[in-house]
Amino acid sequence: MNTFEWVSPGTVAEAISALKSAPAASDLDDAARPIAGGQDLLTTMKDYITRPVRVVNLKGIRGLDKIEADGKGGLRIGALVTLAQLEEHAIVRRNFPGLSEAAHSVGTPQIRNLGTVGGNLCQRPRCWYFRLEEVVCLKKGGTECYAATGENKYHAIFGGGPSYIVHPSDLAPMLVALGASVSVVGAEGKRAIPLDKFFTLPSEGNLRRENVLKNDEIITEVQVPASKFAAHSTYLKFKERDSMDFAMSAVAAAVAIGPNKTIREARLVLGGVAPVPWRVTKAEGYLAGKTPSVDVLTHTAKIALEGAEPLAKNKYKVPLTQTLVRRALARVGGVRT
Amino acid sequence: MPQQQQTQPQPSPTPPKKKKIRVPRVVNGVEQMVEIEVDDVAGPTWGPNDKHTLLNHRLTRVDGPLKVSGAARYTYDVRLPGMLYARVRRCPHAHARLKNFDSSAASKIPGVKAIIQTPLKEFRFAGSPVAAVAAISPEIAHDAIRALVVEYEVLPHVVIAREALKPGSPEVLPRDSRKPDEKNLRLANKTGDVEKVEAALKSSDAIVEAEYSTSRLHHCCLETHGMVVDYSGGDSATIYATTQGTFTIPDDAAKELGLPQSAVTATVQHMGGGFGSKFGIGIEGMLACRLSNETKTPVKLMLTRYDEFVMAGNRSGSWQKFKAGVKKDGTFTALHATQYRLGGVGQGSQAGQPYAVYRVGDSYREVYALQTNEDSSVAMRAPGHPQASFAMESLLDELAYKIGMDPVEFRKKNVRDDFYKHQFDRGAREIGWERRNPTAGGNPGPNKRGMGCAAGTWGGGGNDQCKVDVTVSRDGSVVVAVGTQDLGTGTRTFTRAIVAEELGLGIKDVVEQIGNSKLGSANSSGGSTTAASLSPSVKDAAVKARLAVAEKIAPLFGNAKPEQITFAGGNVSGGGKTITWKQACAALPAAGITAHGVWRSELQSRGVHGVCFAEVEVDVETGKVRPIKMVQVQDGGLPLNRLTMESQINGGMIQALGMALWEGRTIDADLGMQLNPSFVDYKLPGSLEMPEMIPIIDDEDKREVVIGIAEAAIIPAVGAVANAVFNACGVRVRELPITPDKILIGLMSERRSA
Amino acid sequence: MSDDHDQERRKKSSRYDPSRRKFLKGVGVAGAGAALADHLLTGDADKVAAKISTPGDPLSGNVNLVLDLNGQKRNLTVEPRTTLLSAIRDRLEPPVTGPKLVCDMGSCGACTVIMDGKPVYSCLVLAVDAVGKKLTTVEGLGSPENMNGVQRAFVEHDGLMCGFCTPGFVTTISAYLKKNPNPTLDEVREACKGNFCRCGTYPRVFEAALAAAKAGTSG
Ligand code: SF4
Ligand code: FES
Ligand code: FES
Repeated sequence: MNTFEWVSPGTVAEAISALKSAPAASDLDDAARPIAGGQDLLTTMKDYITRPVRVVNLKGIRGLDKIEADGKGGLRIGALVTLAQLEEHAIVRRNFPGLSEAAHSVGTPQIRNLGTVGGNLCQRPRCWYFRLEEVVCLKKGGTECYAATGENKYHAIFGGGPSYIVHPSDLAPMLVALGASVSVVGAEGKRAIPLDKFFTLPSEGNLRRENVLKNDEIITEVQVPASKFAAHSTYLKFKERDSMDFAMSAVAAAVAIGPNKTIREARLVLGGVAPVPWRVTKAEGYLAGKTPSVDVLTHTAKIALEGAEPLAKNKYKVPLTQTLVRRALARVGGVRT
Repeated sequence: MPQQQQTQPQPSPTPPKKKKIRVPRVVNGVEQMVEIEVDDVAGPTWGPNDKHTLLNHRLTRVDGPLKVSGAARYTYDVRLPGMLYARVRRCPHAHARLKNFDSSAASKIPGVKAIIQTPLKEFRFAGSPVAAVAAISPEIAHDAIRALVVEYEVLPHVVIAREALKPGSPEVLPRDSRKPDEKNLRLANKTGDVEKVEAALKSSDAIVEAEYSTSRLHHCCLETHGMVVDYSGGDSATIYATTQGTFTIPDDAAKELGLPQSAVTATVQHMGGGFGSKFGIGIEGMLACRLSNETKTPVKLMLTRYDEFVMAGNRSGSWQKFKAGVKKDGTFTALHATQYRLGGVGQGSQAGQPYAVYRVGDSYREVYALQTNEDSSVAMRAPGHPQASFAMESLLDELAYKIGMDPVEFRKKNVRDDFYKHQFDRGAREIGWERRNPTAGGNPGPNKRGMGCAAGTWGGGGNDQCKVDVTVSRDGSVVVAVGTQDLGTGTRTFTRAIVAEELGLGIKDVVEQIGNSKLGSANSSGGSTTAASLSPSVKDAAVKARLAVAEKIAPLFGNAKPEQITFAGGNVSGGGKTITWKQACAALPAAGITAHGVWRSELQSRGVHGVCFAEVEVDVETGKVRPIKMVQVQDGGLPLNRLTMESQINGGMIQALGMALWEGRTIDADLGMQLNPSFVDYKLPGSLEMPEMIPIIDDEDKREVVIGIAEAAIIPAVGAVANAVFNACGVRVRELPITPDKILIGLMSERRSA
Repeated sequence: MSDDHDQERRKKSSRYDPSRRKFLKGVGVAGAGAALADHLLTGDADKVAAKISTPGDPLSGNVNLVLDLNGQKRNLTVEPRTTLLSAIRDRLEPPVTGPKLVCDMGSCGACTVIMDGKPVYSCLVLAVDAVGKKLTTVEGLGSPENMNGVQRAFVEHDGLMCGFCTPGFVTTISAYLKKNPNPTLDEVREACKGNFCRCGTYPRVFEAALAAAKAGTSG
């Protein structure tokens, strides 16, 4: 880890100004960084992927560590809420089960005790080329994506190019499925960003970033609106090693149940397969109004994976993800498979 | 004085008769058989295995309380006043020559005390050490290695074994001028008669041709390699080393420090795993010594986890091609094997086929070392055996399926040693083999269960390198001292137990002193040779101590003969009288007594048998393999400690499970770098991966001798798990590890061809 | 279609061709050495910065702080980048070395300490960030002479071999049993899934945890 200045502000405004006033950095990844749980940031700093000249500790800011009802059946989740808190929160468990499952699926108990909601959404990629200190790939300002033709077993089958990372967050797909948005505060003020607009594809946004956050902006809160989906939501994560792993593939599913157990509307977002949470609207559309059955779910899964462009070593992700889609929908739709 | 002794030899009784025996010696973790001479006299015996009071019981570890409370001090925990911290700078290229090395910027960082280069000028694998730095804190040392400016001339490399065979591939090592055609492929040995094999294959009822391969694996000792060199420029030094060989340290460390060997003491009180990778001072030790010598200050150099993956050694990969024949009645008729040892720039290791457990009829093999620009493999728990066993056991399974024979029966028919037969029966009973569906993939539903089995063998004999002292003091305290090391294998505990049992004491009444090169010599812990080397010497010392005590205290018992004085339950009896141990010891001379034990070949032996049965569940819609249950039946002569022996068997099964299902080095062909040098990406099995585990000590083995089983324990489970996967889902994955992607791809291509 | 894609990507790669060296261009320790060192030189390593208790002001260089460790107030000097693990092992005098440095990346559990009642990886906590927290290491749970229930159960059930992972397991499980004194086997597995053991002690670690729970002696 490089040396850095440690700043512990007491308010959001102080934090922003500490980020803004930091000594000039020669590279994007040398710029000042906010730290919350630090469970990802510190690993990137130890590997010199991020080398901030200043680290701004957000944990001294009061009020960002609460989960509150928004009065309309939705939730306001402070960015500093830990994953353990989110997972165990009674209202989350009862009314937003998929969100509790997603939080539970993250890392290990130790990581969930410190890792925060805001931090989880801002994790850097797990691509093993990216994580090697010595490799300067596209995402680090280099000229090549080594994964494109290299060891890409864990990489994207959707939305890839020129970088083929998959987004590592488990909360993100579930929150996108639930229609959540984030409050972001920066030097230019506060903005609310729907989460599906928050993450950026390598081909669209800044290739060296995974979201729209500017260097002097921080997430302060996540809003999960009341929805007809939340009660029937689930997050199914497939890990190569159950004890500790990032998703090889994951599915966040949420459905609104209509009369006679039909599915009125569905939200289906894939994780571990694309550089952003990958919503499959065509599959959602197909499902709307249907009575879920094995055949319907199998067909939905097929549609969900249409257009997948596997790399040389990740073709398996197609059948794997189809299975997860089927199983996740079966769970929320009450189908026995 | 020695000279005087030579010119005027003491009249001595006729020297004891000698006999020659062959024993294993361990050099860098690899067993080599050597002939030695030992006294041919009747010595002590262990007695029947079921007549012990401490041995062959369940003894908790004597160092347990220290280890569970953080009080055990490992090498990594040593911190000396003024000590410097060192870090290594590695070459990132798989093949490069050093062009320029500039340390001026690094040397200006406050707190940096020394910078040295390794002697290497050409680097043949990514991760080769280039330089090392010592500084006042670990953080500053790390800053400094990154501030070194190193320029390379990058040379062509090859890191994929199959590519290294191609005519145009780069040369990994300079060619041997005597064998100009051998580039990256070096023939190690050829055995058998190929024509006979061809003929036998022709007359076989069924033939299987198959190729198997295993990944490079990592030891992943939780305590990385390294040492603390306590040297401040005086005339002596102490080396705190994390090592499997206390006595492999002083010699080389002394050379680096410019001291006589006798001035250097090596010590290792507790160590965080070795598994074959920790012998000698290693390049990291060399660098630590040089930094300490240059600064005349104690230096601690522990490799980082990244260093550890790319420069501290690994298990040789393997690639094996078979053509095998079988008769309908299950007789294995012929085996043609081509074996490649994939040891990077090293020679690699692989047990020769046919794997020693089985009779295969006529056989022929060619074994090659196929080299790549990767760091050399080193010994790792049963070097070469799990690789060979996995391939042979998979092949046996394929043959059994081909002729429609039960895999257990097929194995029982072809084992060399009938002792395995009851082990197979026992294992089959414990796992519930009768529940197994003989049709691979035949169970209904997506979660399919399956079972597999396999067998293993190992030497585990000892040698004559251990010299043990047992001292009994007048206050009744007992110390057993020998320089050996405890790798977590329970050495401390059995050393104490042997002495305590002999003297009729409790295990707490004896204190062991180990892990110090100033104590009696001991062998390195490699090749499972520790128990069989150490325990006979300890027993010999203990028996001698008992007799010496008896002799001194004989007057208390009406001058009974020493052999007639008995020691049991903390008491000493003779001539109808019983007193406590303490009372008896009060009659010892002021200095107490010390007895010296030497190795007794009759107290040990070699050759163990083990079988493993595994049950797994494969989710054929995701490719996930869930281990359900594993059973391993293992013999080992006299079990010194049943509790720790079972733990060893568990540990072997778990490491084998890791090899079968998750572990493997991933390397990028173009960059030549390992992509998973971390515990995130190199996937060790964790708590959720564990099946129900049943370690069974095979008490049918009545041999009253000690044999090591540490390595035996890791061998059979790899094949057993692989075979269980096939039985469960019908996909034969011939390339380890068996990960979900391979199963799904296997199922997809099966469906396509159906 | 995906195959075309593959072809395209593949074109960029040309294995065993001299032009492959372009691949290596990006390889090397990031950042020029000299520039890096300059940055470090301005860091003024000897300056002792103000007390950590004044929030808002940037801290750099050496920082004095007090940790609440195993019931004692311990003074030490760290850098902002010093991890809690390194602080107690490499900076504290005398050191506390129960928690082990194994991966330094939050992926093995050997460094687990209990922070305000919760197990955390001390390699992923900065020492400056641990100020004001109640910290307990394995040493704080018991001593060889006076082990807590979990420690005793580990010894009895042989839940250790080399013992390097053991402090982490003991700490994690001790904290867990406080939260759930009566766990099932599956709950125990789940609780220690962030702790890895190379020697293969898991089955006996589970036994020990369940035995400690049964004896009701987690503390
Ligand atoms: S996938 Fe992205 S992060 Fe990985 S090598 Fe390619 S550009 Fe770099
Ligand atoms: S050292 Fe902290 S988790 Fe491994
Ligand atoms: S006991 Fe050795 S790593 Fe767990």
